[in-house]
Amino acid sequence: MSAAERVQKVGRFVAERFPVEKFSFHSLFQKKEVPIHRMSWAYYMGGLALFFFMIQLGTGLMLLFYYQPTVSDAHASVEYITTQVSGGGLIRNLHTWASSAMIFCVLAHIITTFAMKAFEKPREVTWITGVVLLLLTFGFGFTGYLLPWHQIAVNATKVGLQSIEEAGRYLPGALAEVPAQVRVLIQGEAAVGQATLSRFFALHVVVLPLLVFATLGLHVLLVQLHGMSQGVDRPTKKSERFFPLFVLKDFSLWGFVFLVVFVVALCLPFESFFSFPLFQPFDALGSTPEGIKPEWYFFFVYYPLELLPFWLVMLGQGVVVAGLFLTPWIFSGTSRKTLSIIAGAAAFYLVVITVFGQDIYQFFKGE
Amino acid sequence: MPGMGSVTHGKPAAAWLMVMSLALVGQTAFGYPEFQQYVQKSSGRTVNCALCHEHPDGPEGLKPGQIGSLTAEEMDRLNRARAAFQPGQTVDSPILNDFGDAIIRTLGKQQLLLLRQSPEKLPAALGTESDLDQDSIPDADEYVAGTHPLDPNSGQPWRLFLNNLKRFAFHVAMLVAATLFGLYGLNNFLRWFEASAAETTEHGLEDAEAFRRVETVTHEASRRSRSAAEAGP
Repeated sequence: MSAAERVQKVGRFVAERFPVEKFSFHSLFQKKEVPIHRMSWAYYMGGLALFFFMIQLGTGLMLLFYYQPTVSDAHASVEYITTQVSGGGLIRNLHTWASSAMIFCVLAHIITTFAMKAFEKPREVTWITGVVLLLLTFGFGFTGYLLPWHQIAVNATKVGLQSIEEAGRYLPGALAEVPAQVRVLIQGEAAVGQATLSRFFALHVVVLPLLVFATLGLHVLLVQLHGMSQGVDRPTKKSERFFPLFVLKDFSLWGFVFLVVFVVALCLPFESFFSFPLFQPFDALGSTPEGIKPEWYFFFVYYPLELLPFWLVMLGQGVVVAGLFLTPWIFSGTSRKTLSIIAGAAAFYLVVITVFGQDIYQFFKGE
Repeated sequence: MPGMGSVTHGKPAAAWLMVMSLALVGQTAFGYPEFQQYVQKSSGRTVNCALCHEHPDGPEGLKPGQIGSLTAEEMDRLNRARAAFQPGQTVDSPILNDFGDAIIRTLGKQQLLLLRQSPEKLPAALGTESDLDQDSIPDADEYVAGTHPLDPNSGQPWRLFLNNLKRFAFHVAMLVAATLFGLYGLNNFLRWFEASAAETTEHGLEDAEAFRRVETVTHEASRRSRSAAEAGP
């Protein structure tokens, strides 16, 4: 293939993924249709994830007014927000619950999108931006977890960073040093301390939001350009207009979901599910309380790490992440039925390991 | 648990006072881990000394809230707490938190020492009246559940949820009303769109557009016939 042909091929690829002729209000909103079928509910998951992200932005901004990103004051400032600031406890709890809800929705969105084969041509870039958004959401969770600077936050972060370094043991030659350097780069100093907190804070409130804005903007634009995917094998004859019908239904769902999350945030402190020593200020010289664990959305990798050889879990994770990025090409010829089975198995694994992970761990370890 | 830490460090004056007071009170200075062990076993939650003490690592040490860091005035308060053998005496121990002080005040040191043999009886001895963090869960119940009696965010989740739901009933009712009104408005808006444009059809957008064209033509025809009727024969 000549260079000119290659350029032409790339040009065609880009033109199909970014159809400039559809850059109009008419195409993006007025003409857009949403198919109606048994999986239609899945079209709302992306919007819900977006809604929770907006809650995170609003509540996060409010927390930013009082939070102090220093090892000496971080925990005290969070305590101050929770106990002294008017409505502070509610806002903080809303931020915590909405973060979990956002991660749940992003996971549900990617699983249903996979099952509906919504990554098919010309939606490959939409899918890839979705995978990037999933990783960024996990990044938000990981960096935000450290900020309150309590026992579970610091110790879980230490474990997380340590596992990065451990990957070096399984890499050949000069590559073996890379994970350790990555750890130091993230950590900022020899141990988790002020430099780490500063970096995580900067990542959580500036870097990741900017990356999300850019990726989310592209993702939503592509969704609007290409419209909703068919989602089922037999094309449905029923459809509804995206604007205003689907949008109004989306708003109704957001209203209901906000009511639920708000009431939960008002009445059920997230911390009540954990032992209280885990939320005491981190003391580098004090004893480490039992029960240090990452947040629930990392259980899918945490419990396998506790039970299986490290290299095996890392290899598995690498394959899954690479597989996610390459999904549009790997599964291009796969039927929706097969995709639904794979998606169902993934959802089953996530639910079982998240809900029963501790029991499974105790069963195999005999503790 | 409320107890006396062993004397290991401290300022000379404080140490001297401590030795003297220990001699006076005649108690060996150690924490009471029996209560903590019972709570951990019964609740399945991790519990540390911060349940009753100022410092999570207990009374022994040099850190704030531990015996080695106490001033002369704080040692004086500690000794008064140590001497509170009978219930009903107000104590303000520098190594105990408010729950620890409340236990000494309610039971007295003597009964507390006896309860070391059967820590499961502590809740009954404390009663259900005291709720220091005002989360509507009595301190004695929080002790059994392994949650913190001084932290309103720590408690059995379901019980905490129900208590807070009652406490914020008005706020929740207002929120539900606001949401219902909003949803009602959106729903009517939706129905108006559906009725006026017939957006959701059996055959999708093409039919909707065809419907609109027919409607326009019909409207135009009726307008013409009205004009003709008004113009007369």
